[in-house]
Amino acid sequence: MPQLNPNPWFIIMLMSWLTFSFLMQPKLLSFLPTNLPTSKTKTILNPTPWSWPWT
Amino acid sequence: MNLSFFDQFASPQLLGIPLILLSMLFPALLLPSPTNRWVTNRLSTLQSWFLQLITKQLMIPLNKMGHKWALILSSLMTFLLLINLLGLLPYTFTPTTQLSMNMALAFPLWLATLLTGLRNQPSISLGHLLPEGTPTILIPALILIETTSLLIRPLALGVRLTANLTAGHLLIQLISTATMALLPIMPTISILTAFILLLLTILELAVAMIQAYVFVLLLSLYLQENI
Repeated sequence: MPQLNPNPWFIIMLMSWLTFSFLMQPKLLSFLPTNLPTSKTKTILNPTPWSWPWT
Repeated sequence: MNLSFFDQFASPQLLGIPLILLSMLFPALLLPSPTNRWVTNRLSTLQSWFLQLITKQLMIPLNKMGHKWALILSSLMTFLLLINLLGLLPYTFTPTTQLSMNMALAFPLWLATLLTGLRNQPSISLGHLLPEGTPTILIPALILIETTSLLIRPLALGVRLTANLTAGHLLIQLISTATMALLPIMPTISILTAFILLLLTILELAVAMIQAYVFVLLLSLYLQENI
């Protein structure tokens, strides 16, 4: 199986990390999202007390 | 020299220059750089939509600390997806069939998740080695089993991707060889084999996408346990 030939292993490992970290990551980092995630603001509820009319 | 069926996986070289670099650089060319226009073209919109989709999917199960991994996981997903899909075109080379590349990606990333867990929450990370509710008598055996399954994760991650893609490409080559060999002898069977080839190619498209997704998903799962 030619994948087990150890000759090009180091260069393949090195080049895969270099292309991944210096080409793919900056390219996708520069991606501009159009709607950024926002966290929902907590609404503090102040319900007015009511009494049940049991009649 | 006679070629065997495995020779398609030999890392291509021209006068000692490894050409695998070309197949690794090409996916980046297919991704458009964002401009400062409000309404972009279809390809840019598609890329934005897709990136948001995978980032959201990967980040939902993680806590806030895990969101630091958003860039590395989503760019890894895009990288592997594009490499796998481009490899299905004729006369292209798929770098992810190389065990070297997949182990190079899997092992450091898995180790990073493990070390993150051991550094920030060592008791919890080690506690994962013993599932809740195990009978006392089974504890030693189970710890050994869980440690083995932990240590075999990077190997499994790398070999899974390699084996799936290698097997797919090998099958495609075998069936297309059968189609061509049967064409002068039994044309009807050749057409049948060509139909099988069509179905197989559709399967390989699915496998290419799924395997890239599974690789990144498992890494995010290992991260969830440890962050």
